Amino acid sequence: MSGSDHTRWSEDLAAYMLGALAPGEAREFEQHLEGCERCRNEMRWFEPAVNSLSESVERREPPPGLRAALMAEVRADARAAEAEAGAEGGSLLGWIRGNFSHRGLRLAAGFASLALAIAAVAGYEIGKGGSDSEGNGGAVTLSSREHGIDVKMVRKGEGGTLHLANVHQLPPGKVLEAWVRREGTVEAVPALMVPDRKGQAETTIASMKGVDTVMVTEEPQGGSEEPTSPALVTMTVPS
Amino acid sequence: MAVRREKAERLADEELMPLVSRKDPEAFEVLYDRHGGAAYSLAYRIVGDRAAAEEVTQEAFISVWRSGARFDATRGSVRSWLLSVVRNRAIDFLRSKAGKAPKLDFDDESALEQRPAAERTEEEALRRETATEVRGAIGNLPGEQAKVIELAYFGGFSHSEIAEILSLPMGTVKGRMRLGLEKIRGELAEGLA
Repeated sequence: MSGSDHTRWSEDLAAYMLGALAPGEAREFEQHLEGCERCRNEMRWFEPAVNSLSESVERREPPPGLRAALMAEVRADARAAEAEAGAEGGSLLGWIRGNFSHRGLRLAAGFASLALAIAAVAGYEIGKGGSDSEGNGGAVTLSSREHGIDVKMVRKGEGGTLHLANVHQLPPGKVLEAWVRREGTVEAVPALMVPDRKGQAETTIASMKGVDTVMVTEEPQGGSEEPTSPALVTMTVPS
Repeated sequence: MAVRREKAERLADEELMPLVSRKDPEAFEVLYDRHGGAAYSLAYRIVGDRAAAEEVTQEAFISVWRSGARFDATRGSVRSWLLSVVRNRAIDFLRSKAGKAPKLDFDDESALEQRPAAERTEEEALRRETATEVRGAIGNLPGEQAKVIELAYFGGFSHSEIAEILSLPMGTVKGRMRLGLEKIRGELAEGLA
């Protein structure tokens, strides 16, 4: 290849590394790259400069809820994968699948998200636990901490109040929605939650009769008919 | 079986990746804790919006979680691979919002001084030193070179789009990209010397 022929590729190299070639041009360049050691060497030389561009940006602290939501999804995913690999029969996961699959859920991120939310409930019930309870003048308080959120469930008489603290600020257009599982059916709690400036939120559950699990998810404003995002909080309620 | 968190923390990124590809949440969590801040910062820099940056970062990490096996250690570090995944997601996001202009704020020195509380490891300190050098190197670039690099890398524009935006011949745009990268690379090399 002559020097002048190579000039063209040499001009394209920086644009390629910055992702600025059109798809067809990029493919053509990649084909050239396979047979051109000179360009490969140049690329290796430029790589630190390109990689450093992403390090040069102003540092921002990610919202605390990002880690919690991400890990909730990941853990639920892992549990779902384990459940897939293992025996499904008789598990809560299988039960929820059976109950939800016919409903045609409107899922923000497809079936996977549902499986994650479901698995979060299942996993919590199966292994994580973590609730403490105490009696107080006829009221029973359950408390736990999950993904950095302090959860307190106060049961008094037939009803209950769910208190959340240390909740991250929600993205615009989002609210928190609580769900209860009662005798095999998942129901939405009508009162939606928006955390205040201190990260506190609460909702009232009119009847706790037969409820064995309480879950909270992030939903679009106005709430959803079924959970559409991974669970931020799950709490097993002893009978 | 998931490795314990403490054990995962002792592993290098490259050692974590096989565990991530085997769906180990503890290994993944360590990966996020090491690089989540940089990933979110990059996403924010590109999309310019907190909620969108959060969405992009989460999507990018979930794609890493679900396709960890695609990491090729022979082609660079985990961090640079991960940040390239974030960048691609963010650019896709920008492109899906047709007509959205990228932010151009390389000169925002006061913003550059902000620092998160976390990530105070020696490695992170070194990265920040490098980042400072790069910011310096970019800041030292002639404006026309900085602009084409900015538009390409953070704006997701192709060289032909940049040529149109800046009313320049495409060859000039590519030339400025190359000169700009050469200068950054040269200053990095001097910093390491």
